[in-house]
Amino acid sequence: MSEPAEFVTIKLNGEEIQAPAGEMLIKVAEDNGTYIPRFCWHPRMKPVGLCRMCLVEVETPRGTALVPSCVQPVADGMAVETGSPVALKAQEGVLEFLLVNHPLDCPICDRGGECPLQDQVMSYGPGESRFVEEKRHYEKPVPISDLVLLDRERCILCARCTRFSDEIAGDPLIEFQNRGNGTEIFTFPDEPFASYFSGNTVQICPVGALTAAPYRFRARPWDLLTIESTSPFHTEGSRITVHASQNQVLRFLGVDNGLTNQGWLSDKERFGFEFIGSPDRLKMPMIREDGEFREASWGEAIGLVAARLKEIVERSGPDAVGAIGGAQGTNEDAYALSKFMRVAVGTNNLDAQLDDGLNPDFLVGVGSRARIQDLESAKTILVWSADLKEENPILYLRVRRAARELDATLIVVHPARTGLDDLADHKFGYRPGDGADLLADLAAGTQDYAPALDALQDGPVVVILGRTGLSEDGGLAEAVASFARDLPAASIMPIVRRANTFGALDMGVAPSLLPGRIPARGASGAIIELWGKVPATRGLDTAGMLAGLVGGELEALIMVGADPVRDVPSGSKAADALRAADFSVAIDLFMTDSAAMADVVLPAEGFTEKEGTVTNLEGRVQKVNRIVPGPGQARPDWSVLDGIAESMGSPIGLPSSEAIAKEISTVATAYEGVSWDLLEGEAREGAVVPIGDVRQPLEYIAVNAEQPARTKGLALHLARTLYDDGSAIRHSLSLAKLAPGMTAGLSPDQAVDLGVEAGDLVTVSIGSVTFACPVRIDRALADKTVAIPFNQPGIETLDAAASVLVKAGGSS
Amino acid sequence: MTDTARWSEESEALAESVMAKYPQKRSALMPLLYIAMREDGYLSEAGMRRVADLVDLEPAQVSSVASFYTMYKLEPVGKYLVSVCTSISCWLLGGDEVLEAVEASAGVPSGETDESGVISPEHVECIGACGGAPAVQVNYELIEGLTPKKATELVEWLNAAQPATLNGDEMQALFGGERSFDWAINETNDATGPYPAFQPHGTIAALDRS
Ligand code: SF4
Ligand code: FES
Ligand code: FES
Repeated sequence: MSEPAEFVTIKLNGEEIQAPAGEMLIKVAEDNGTYIPRFCWHPRMKPVGLCRMCLVEVETPRGTALVPSCVQPVADGMAVETGSPVALKAQEGVLEFLLVNHPLDCPICDRGGECPLQDQVMSYGPGESRFVEEKRHYEKPVPISDLVLLDRERCILCARCTRFSDEIAGDPLIEFQNRGNGTEIFTFPDEPFASYFSGNTVQICPVGALTAAPYRFRARPWDLLTIESTSPFHTEGSRITVHASQNQVLRFLGVDNGLTNQGWLSDKERFGFEFIGSPDRLKMPMIREDGEFREASWGEAIGLVAARLKEIVERSGPDAVGAIGGAQGTNEDAYALSKFMRVAVGTNNLDAQLDDGLNPDFLVGVGSRARIQDLESAKTILVWSADLKEENPILYLRVRRAARELDATLIVVHPARTGLDDLADHKFGYRPGDGADLLADLAAGTQDYAPALDALQDGPVVVILGRTGLSEDGGLAEAVASFARDLPAASIMPIVRRANTFGALDMGVAPSLLPGRIPARGASGAIIELWGKVPATRGLDTAGMLAGLVGGELEALIMVGADPVRDVPSGSKAADALRAADFSVAIDLFMTDSAAMADVVLPAEGFTEKEGTVTNLEGRVQKVNRIVPGPGQARPDWSVLDGIAESMGSPIGLPSSEAIAKEISTVATAYEGVSWDLLEGEAREGAVVPIGDVRQPLEYIAVNAEQPARTKGLALHLARTLYDDGSAIRHSLSLAKLAPGMTAGLSPDQAVDLGVEAGDLVTVSIGSVTFACPVRIDRALADKTVAIPFNQPGIETLDAAASVLVKAGGSS
Repeated sequence: MTDTARWSEESEALAESVMAKYPQKRSALMPLLYIAMREDGYLSEAGMRRVADLVDLEPAQVSSVASFYTMYKLEPVGKYLVSVCTSISCWLLGGDEVLEAVEASAGVPSGETDESGVISPEHVECIGACGGAPAVQVNYELIEGLTPKKATELVEWLNAAQPATLNGDEMQALFGGERSFDWAINETNDATGPYPAFQPHGTIAALDRS
């Protein structure tokens, strides 16, 4: 942050201290160990001086005065008393007033036991109330969205929730209504508080006025066990605390890691905890016999998998086996998969991405990689990626902050409307497939693009890039990166969406990479020592493996936390591939659509059930921790893979997650110096690898993106939404119902051409899949384009490459 | 943002011209609320949604402003809005009794409208006529120095005569008592539209002239 370097001297309770000029008194006092009570002030939002709880006595030329310390900047020579009799009396008075209408129903309030109002009344309150009149009454909790309930009687009108929604999230759907004694927080009729970030208001509400449906009445805070961890939902790696009671995870709360999530969580990562305790979790290994699954012991299941894999390797060679997945677990799990495939099987056929990401060499090897924190000082930000609000919501908040509070110039390039459009200084749209033309125009600075190109010359610039949709060629993002590399002061942040993809790639779960960002052909040193000979030829990626299964070159497929049938942008091909496979095994938390087609399904431990590390999109390694046991006989991925290798007679020697972590730091060049001790001690905010002066091991060589063939007819923009039919959401009951469902996004002109209006039914055919859905008008779309959300409940997976037809009318 | 139902062409044009006068659209929020009131006779949900759409705010933000100010009517109001001041000066000189008299003759309490939709009594905070307390406004035309008896007569007269336009000076002569000072310009409030407010609702007329 660009803090003014100037310091002033103030007297705080008689003691002289130095403080940065302009800083608010409440913050200065806190930084110097003096807590001033507060309700409305929040370190991540603008001060408003609304609740008056933070009154302190300040000496002024006209004698001492009571001043709200959250809106009082420090000035040289200022003398402050935070605990003088006058200040205390004022604080007491404020609390007495706040309690005038407060129902004091703490025994039935979720917040009881961790309530700032309760705490501050205990510490600063009068102890007795003189108020004997009838209190104000409102209908007790009213749902203001599917996730959040509001109890207006408890509200102390601090405006934290409304300021968060407006300032931070950009969804001002709740506001003060009425005035005076009748003031209340409320939504507009029929406009629920449907924000992707609504849960944050529950966390920052200083009373129990806002409660979260998934947690209500589930526990008392003093009964909860708590552990710090890293959210498994987005590639930003939000820091969280996990709360559990009686071996059940009951909630996640955001932790303020200033470098990443700054305390905020998306509702998906806050309420997605529900999948952990789902009754649908796999508890026992399952073996298919005569077409039906039956439960089996671990010994039998592992024995069978090992025997079948061995048989296939002996018959057809190691390259007849492939593995998909590894991006949903820890780095330790991914490392085990990487080692298993190279050492126990002997192939480079493995891929952590599901044909929906970017070239792995590019993702981990592109130089001048930006960190999230670079957004704080960026003058210009170019976002040419998926809609961040849908896929990387924490990054969305940080970009929003940079554009709104820190005045960065924001350029957004995307074929459809995105969550950032309203804040963008420049928004460019294009018809899917025509991105390369737009890039050429932008690089040349022709006409409309000149101001944006000028802004991009003005560093520091952060370029966030990725695939804008599943139907877009990943090569475009690489071309954008090449353009960005030639800008005078740009750093690059390539992004993908699936949780620990970056960690998995760093562990070598890619057809071309070994652990530590080393090219597969360049194995040397510790890897050779520990792994022995590793295959040097590039393996198959996910698309290649699925095609290989159908073509017969590949015979066995291992799926580790991967559901290609739902997640690969041509899911029906994935189903064909699984049908064609000679043998397939799924290690997963749930019986996913893909697992249901496998020969053996092995139950895995998931988040909060295992310990390890994960790596976020900027290369930040953080710790995840265990707080509950896994269901039934579930085991961590690494242990399952170690068991199979052992049984195959080619052990990979991975006895524990911690031992794997040590091996990673020896084998993986980029992870040198990373240890659990470091991440639990000094580097609790995470350590960005490579640490220190170690050179980025992989040199990515830019390829010239080929101009894709122009789409005739309708172009398809197939993009993910925050809530979809992915297995974590499907098994989180509160979130499952929030998937938006199928719509067909059309430009206004396109809609006129088709003779339809918003809400009308149209029939969409994508390849062999046909469905009816309502029209949504998106003014940002180009003509001859249709925008379709990916992986919605009840719809078969769509093929991003297939041709599209849209007809008016709902009969299919 | 959903597409909201458009107003009459005239109101839409007026809204455009109002918004054009501000560097930021949202600054036009309050005058637009008057247009919405004129459209529907009060601030309906649909009206607030339209305003939100026009100035790029969420409806919750619009209703936050609308519900803060008492002169934005969130419910339909009768032909005559009778506002009785109950702030300190008026209260000391019998404002409460005046209010009671108005309520009694209208047959409904403050904040409601009589059955025939003619009279809506309300109590208001200081209307700047403390020198002539107790003070009352009918469709924002001022009468000073009322007694409960005179107030009753005022309501009866409104009910019987149902004048198309109201004039403060005339009503003062008929029902008022001591006047605080000369109110200068004697302008008739011909705000007899579907709801009472400034003509046509103050701000707009002023903007039209500028
Ligand atoms: S609901 Fe909570 S956060 Fe919102 S204003 Fe009331 S007390 Fe503050
Ligand atoms: S914390 Fe300072 S006024 Fe609320
Ligand atoms: S107190 Fe009634 S007009 Fe001022």
